[in-house]
Amino acid sequence: MIRHAFARAYLGLILIFLYAPIAVMAVMSLNASEFYALPFRFSTEWYERLFTNDEILAAAWRSVWIAVVVAIIATALGTMATLALWRHDFPGKRILQALLFPPIAVPWLITGTAMLIFFFGVGIGRGTPAVIIGHVALALPYVIVTVFARMQSFDRALEEAARSLGARPLTVARKVILPHAAPGIIAGALFAFAVSFDQFVVSYFLAEPGDSTLPVLIYSAIRKGFTPEINAVSTIIILISMAVMVLAARYAKFGGTR
Amino acid sequence: MTGAERLRALGLLAPAYLWLTVAVFLPLSAMAFFSFLTDVPFGDREWAFTFDNYAQALTNPTYATLLWKSLKLAFWVTVWCVVLGFPCAYILARMIKGRSREVLFLLVILPFWSNALVRVFSWAIVLRGNGVLDRAVNAVLPWDVKLNLMFSETAMVIGLVHSYLPYVILTTYLSLQAIDDTVIEAARSLGARFPRILWRLILPLAMPGLIAGAVLVFVPVVGSFMEPRLLGGRVGTTYGTLIEDQFVAVFNWPLGAALSFILLAVVLVILAAASPALRKATT
Amino acid sequence: MSEVRVEGLTKAYGPTKALDDVTLTFPEGGFFGLLGPSGSGKTTLLRAIAGFVQPDHGRIFIGDQPVEGTAVEDRNIGMVFQSYALFPNMTVAENVAFGLEVRRVPSGDRARRVAEVLELVQLGPLGNRKPQDLSGGQRQRVAMARAIVTRPRVLLLDEPLSALDRALRVDMQIELKRIQREVGITTIFVTHDQEEALTLSDQIGILKDGRLVRHGPPRAVYDDPQDAFTAHFLGEANILTGRVEAQGLRLTDGTLLPGVTTARIALRPEALTASIEQPATPHRLQARLVQRIFSGAMGTCILDWQGQTLKLTAPDRALAALPETGGPQVWLSWPAGAALPLRDPR
Repeated sequence: MIRHAFARAYLGLILIFLYAPIAVMAVMSLNASEFYALPFRFSTEWYERLFTNDEILAAAWRSVWIAVVVAIIATALGTMATLALWRHDFPGKRILQALLFPPIAVPWLITGTAMLIFFFGVGIGRGTPAVIIGHVALALPYVIVTVFARMQSFDRALEEAARSLGARPLTVARKVILPHAAPGIIAGALFAFAVSFDQFVVSYFLAEPGDSTLPVLIYSAIRKGFTPEINAVSTIIILISMAVMVLAARYAKFGGTR
Repeated sequence: MTGAERLRALGLLAPAYLWLTVAVFLPLSAMAFFSFLTDVPFGDREWAFTFDNYAQALTNPTYATLLWKSLKLAFWVTVWCVVLGFPCAYILARMIKGRSREVLFLLVILPFWSNALVRVFSWAIVLRGNGVLDRAVNAVLPWDVKLNLMFSETAMVIGLVHSYLPYVILTTYLSLQAIDDTVIEAARSLGARFPRILWRLILPLAMPGLIAGAVLVFVPVVGSFMEPRLLGGRVGTTYGTLIEDQFVAVFNWPLGAALSFILLAVVLVILAAASPALRKATT
Repeated sequence: MSEVRVEGLTKAYGPTKALDDVTLTFPEGGFFGLLGPSGSGKTTLLRAIAGFVQPDHGRIFIGDQPVEGTAVEDRNIGMVFQSYALFPNMTVAENVAFGLEVRRVPSGDRARRVAEVLELVQLGPLGNRKPQDLSGGQRQRVAMARAIVTRPRVLLLDEPLSALDRALRVDMQIELKRIQREVGITTIFVTHDQEEALTLSDQIGILKDGRLVRHGPPRAVYDDPQDAFTAHFLGEANILTGRVEAQGLRLTDGTLLPGVTTARIALRPEALTASIEQPATPHRLQARLVQRIFSGAMGTCILDWQGQTLKLTAPDRALAALPETGGPQVWLSWPAGAALPLRDPR
């Protein structure tokens, strides 16, 4: 039992390490002093200022809609590809699956700079379209992996049963396969949203200055010097992305803790 | 597979893989091409093929020093992540059961899925001179302490460990959870105590997960530039910031491409070396 | 090698008692089979002896030593798990050597003993294989070798053969018995397979709902089950109920079975004989033949007596006189001693 007490204490310390800075940031975003002076005096001034700061609001809005667009495209393309990978066996399938890893495994710095070079070369240039193209590519593997994991629990006999009852392939897909895949697709969409919404590195190289996403704006703001407004907007961001992930985790947890 | 089925599979796969080709594979190829050019081939600029970029990237002592520094940084961040993450994964996977495990696991993994930039920024608030940590320590200790952690290598390591620790916990947790309880019971029935069980059974069986986690930490940290910039200040020049500079400040894209490719080569070597363990961890 | 004794062992999980006041002696050097349906507490008893389960009350002795306060790793036991629980990261030889390594046996000695025990379980040349590369039967032998190489005081087997297919299981039963005889370790094993228990054990114990129902040598328990549960669980039984009168047992259809002094008796299906003509023995009754089933050398008859289904098994030749399909009344008879008295309250 002493071992269990130790274990819980250790876990507690790790959680403190993980959450304390975020908590400090959240608290400071509600502190009246611009220089984080203590004692703490409660104030919502920085949030109020935030909502009158057009630059931040515009970037926030851009971040959200880009993430939504990315989630829609990546989920559609990813789900289609997953169904093909799951449903059919064909030569080269393993290669196709292996090709999903470069976007995850190659550091974003390399991917981001490579995209910058290429998009410039073919005339897309920097800007929101480039950002969306890049984000979708980063999100696709996550969608495919998530939906594929969900389909692993699909009993092929169900499909055969439906066919034996006279259902045509398209009906089977609509009435049997897609309903089963639904939680995986929702989780995949949320992952894709999170990948895009939280993406900094690739956005940083692809976004046009003055037309940037929220993380890019925050980065340049921090490099100029902290302001409590950045605290406030950061606190909001982290709350949103954590909420999205809690949702995704609920959908992704299709049976078992794996 | 009939012709119609083949066509349907192709139709389903084509959009996703075309997208990946345009957004990832062609850009990486373009970068490879660029790394051999004297200048960017846009507009009416003069350009030619050259190995100079690689020669420069490999012989310039500053670049070599920065690569070495980034590798060292990645090494230490990985070590800390493994040292801190393994016990955490062990406790979660093998000592806590039921609902509280699910909740704790989600709590540990959650920050990893939240905004990396914002988390680094939050450390900047905590670590800055006369910041929260300084005051907390001074409130506890009677004498005056100046921690001055901000803008140091320590700050960079702390921020990066914070960013990547959940990776190691996640992968190690998965392989620890897969260990059959009766295997541990069998070892105990043979007279083995915890340290031996840890050393002879749990560690070897968790190794694929640990290695996978270590690679997932090491690879991005070698190429990190945002964390060093924000937490390292003047000492925060790394190989990653060097590459960043070529693209956003110096605008020497061919040199940046060559530097990126050297980094990619390092990454590939590490991935290749770890691939047997990685394959084991994913099956 | 030691005698194992448990006294008043009790273990509750919430409201259900997995073990309820179990007292039992496992003789030194013997092969003791613990038998019972799932949830009967047999595995809990084994795991309590091993030390994985802490009993709420009661004592456990290995030899003369009480071990309730002793951790698993200090009890000096050998255990074979249902899943074998071989260490997947070690070779066969390393698996077997593990217990010796723990006991700091010098490496030369260790190698010799590992080789010996692998020879004993007939796995001599497979020392360098990984467990994943072995067949089920081979893994079972490795698990056995690993458990006995340390010369434990007691060997605990948790459903050791249930993961094997039927043919292999029969081979391994013989093999297990041989190995146990050669090393002579006190062995306790858990099974839900009554045939396996009867084949292997010198002594069996039958558990139900955490209580020890019967124990003793297999033949003695089989021939005199004493209660309906044991009669049903060990082999098959037709149970007849009636009223005890001065002359014997009066069944519900009026038949009088002389010499029976209990209200219930068990009749083994194989003890029954069927005939069309009335037999010249008072130990008989009349029932309707429902079905005759051919299943190779042995045949089975399903009969209906007063709305109760009875079963008879006999060599198929002996049943030749009976019709294939059901309908007619036939006579069932049995030797005087085959009516096994049941003394448990209903």
